[in-house]
Amino acid sequence: MIQLDLTRRLALVATLAVSALPVLAQDGEKPAETKEKPAEPADGEKKKEDEEERWFAIQNGDVYTGTGEVLRGATLLAKNGKIHSIGYDLYVPPDAKTLDAKGFRLYPGLVAISSQGLLGNASSDFDDTIDPFNSRMILALGTGITTTGAGTAAVKLKRFSVDGAVVNEKIFSSFSWSNSNPRVKGELRDKFVAATNYLREYREWQRKVKDDKTLAEPNKRGVDNTVLAVLQGEQTAKFVSNDRDELLGIAHLAQEFGFRPVIEGCQEGWTIADELGRAGVRAIITPRDRRAKDERQVLAGGASIENAAILHRAGVPVAITPASEGVDLSGLVGRDIMHLPLEPGFAVRGGLPERAALESITIVPARILGISHRVGSLEIGKDCDVIVTDGDVLHYKTFVQWAVVDGKVAYDKEKELFFAHIRPRPEAAAPKKIDAGETPPDPDAKPDETDEDVEKKDGEDEPEEKGDGDEPKKDR
Amino acid sequence: MLRSQSILFGASTALLALAGEPLAASFGNGPLAIRVGRAETVTKGVIENAVILVEDGKIVTIGEDLPVERGVQVIDRPQWTVMPGMVSSYTRIGLDSEGGDDMSPDVKASDELWPKSRDMRKVVDYGFTTLGVYPAGNGIPGLAAAIRPRGETVAEMILKDPAYLKIVMRSDSASKKRIRDAFAKVDEYEEKVKKAREKWDKDKDKDKDKDKDKDKDKKGKKDEKPAEKPAEKPAEKTDEKKMADPDAQDVGSEAAQEGKTDAKDEKKADGFVPPAPDDKSRSFVEMRAKKLRALVTLAGAADWLHWLDALGKETIGFDVRLVLNQDSDIYFVFDKKTYDLDADGIGDRKVHAVVEPVLTFTPHTRRLRNLPMELAQAGAKVCFTPRTDNLDNYKEFLGHVSELIGAGMTRDVALRALTQNGADLLGVGDRVGSLEKGKDANLVFLDGDPFQPATRIQAVMLDGRFVFGEVDS
Repeated sequence: MIQLDLTRRLALVATLAVSALPVLAQDGEKPAETKEKPAEPADGEKKKEDEEERWFAIQNGDVYTGTGEVLRGATLLAKNGKIHSIGYDLYVPPDAKTLDAKGFRLYPGLVAISSQGLLGNASSDFDDTIDPFNSRMILALGTGITTTGAGTAAVKLKRFSVDGAVVNEKIFSSFSWSNSNPRVKGELRDKFVAATNYLREYREWQRKVKDDKTLAEPNKRGVDNTVLAVLQGEQTAKFVSNDRDELLGIAHLAQEFGFRPVIEGCQEGWTIADELGRAGVRAIITPRDRRAKDERQVLAGGASIENAAILHRAGVPVAITPASEGVDLSGLVGRDIMHLPLEPGFAVRGGLPERAALESITIVPARILGISHRVGSLEIGKDCDVIVTDGDVLHYKTFVQWAVVDGKVAYDKEKELFFAHIRPRPEAAAPKKIDAGETPPDPDAKPDETDEDVEKKDGEDEPEEKGDGDEPKKDR
Repeated sequence: MLRSQSILFGASTALLALAGEPLAASFGNGPLAIRVGRAETVTKGVIENAVILVEDGKIVTIGEDLPVERGVQVIDRPQWTVMPGMVSSYTRIGLDSEGGDDMSPDVKASDELWPKSRDMRKVVDYGFTTLGVYPAGNGIPGLAAAIRPRGETVAEMILKDPAYLKIVMRSDSASKKRIRDAFAKVDEYEEKVKKAREKWDKDKDKDKDKDKDKDKDKKGKKDEKPAEKPAEKPAEKTDEKKMADPDAQDVGSEAAQEGKTDAKDEKKADGFVPPAPDDKSRSFVEMRAKKLRALVTLAGAADWLHWLDALGKETIGFDVRLVLNQDSDIYFVFDKKTYDLDADGIGDRKVHAVVEPVLTFTPHTRRLRNLPMELAQAGAKVCFTPRTDNLDNYKEFLGHVSELIGAGMTRDVALRALTQNGADLLGVGDRVGSLEKGKDANLVFLDGDPFQPATRIQAVMLDGRFVFGEVDS
């Protein structure tokens, strides 16, 4: 027991140590989030025998934590939907549901910075309208997406429950900054000036009012609440822009007033990457988007396949989104949300490191959505949102075999009818009775199967079939 | 066949030979014995060579080869099968489609009844002897009634009113808000009742100086208050206490005061009349007191989860109406286990589920699914209702159900879904729905197995009278 706890603690220390670096390096604005992590394992060690405990383990897979580490053949253990521990020789409680991922890889569930239609037909009020059974959600889970931005909210693709899917609301406030409309630019700047002045006066008043209680609170009239929320860090300012001059203008505005904007598009960002990096800009880009250079412009311009790589090198966190945000069965194949993991491949082609490419669809969008304390990487204390793939998640040939949300299997390729027939999961790769959480663990089938047992079992999937025969057939 | 003939059978034929005239007219009064080749009792299995004795509209007895007393009229149809009259617990046949507004839980479908409705009278010919008539509309359109489809007056038609409150649940904020607001109103009402009771108690204390066990009684009353306040209006359930005072309907406090000898005192104690809930709240007050059930219409799997979410901690009794459109995804929530739901599945709750007898497709495919069968396997009590309120669907009803049997549903489940389950859903399961001693004599006579395509309904008996078919001896 002591040994086990030690292992667990070591694993924790290891993960924390490695996770601390990137988090501190890239996530200046939310240092508080990382503090939550150590709380969970301590709770686990208390070991209060609570009936409510729900354990889930994914065993023998290669764990790509999304923070740069790979733990080959490791076990990921989740308790009540949160990652409890990652490591080797973990004690897995006997009542835990398990998933054997031997030969497969584990990645953090992907985060789509923005999407449409995955949550049902409604576009707001997701707590009351989410349809966890609609086929677009199944397809998105099959893509590996476990969290998505939708409108101004961040929502988990939580099936099996309509409760607690929305993890963050009112994230963005959109602003316009366009060369074609200088007046709007001027007005926006004025709003920032007014809000800044108000904040200054307010702080002054806060300081002085302690001594002189009669001082009146500064007048808020004429101050734009949205801009105020941005300046106070309560909301994120989002711009859509691709033009070099516009990007520069936004960067200067951000630097002048001290906020970190999110810029969607950013196609000419590579020409002024340093400026954007200094201004703390975060970019949402689509590497395959193309834009011709304005020939009247002397300086560099137009789209570049290197855009993501150059921005990344300049310290701009890059989130990647496909060209179409819905499940799109028309137009060019492979540009909709179902191809989210393919899109960063085009950035890798242009020089983006593979790790940054993975982060562009996991932790970076999670940070932009303000939910990186819960999703975006496999770290202890975070939500157990894991995808199990049969290869590199960025590779075109790779399929998501299972998607796990909150420690429950939300998608099983073999069970859903969309991709089950394409390169069916080889029995040898998943030797044990494939238990995706649908059936309670079979007490006499499990405990320590050797490979021989496994091979013997391979040929005989018939009895299993029979066992389930009288149940309603699910999808086939 | 002949094996079944008893001495009594001989005797009765002799008697009938004597009578020698069509009996349809004279069946009304005295006892009548009907001898058939086979009886599908639904609750008690199959009885071969069954004899059913009917008197005063009730089944007096049913059994295999029962001896029939001399003098009892006998109808002898060894080639026939009898089953209970069918129950459609969810119908608007013969009524128009005008809907109520979104929140009208006080509207009663029974107000729309029209005894002369041709379509409603016609469904009896197709074997339907009990109907659950619901009010049209979306949101919470109102209260359904259990009726017999023929009667000279509305009162004669009604078996139970209200039978259930219809609620239409959709995955949207408005639907959930309606439910939550309605129960919030009940909370307010209960608070009001509590205050009124306190005030009443105080006044009473002022009136009479009382000893200590009185205080005890009061406490007991207060605790029971929420459950008993709707006791004032439905007359059905307070029969068990034989009280002289008609106002004294407070069962709980009566029990608490049993020790008292002073009759005057007792009357006073029970004299508290809680304020009446307003019309919109009444149904919900009764539901929370478990005196009324809801029938919740769900179109998709998500609706079920949102319904449970909207209910929150409320523990009202409810059943479901599932709209089985062509590619319904409702199977995701049939049970908790298959898809690892956080909440209970429909089957886990053992609710009644009203469905059309249709085969559907797995969404986006042409793969047939037998959802009513899966529903029954998951533990729900399936109740069939015709596909639409079109007379043709009533006429072909048994055929539609046979399609599901062909696709794997068992006969027993299908038979129950046609009869007893629907009766239970309507709250009249002790009166109709099966062939049992003491139940209403609603009988459907067929010339073969009900689920064989060539079988035709030969006669229908409603409350002991033949209302369809040429029946003479």
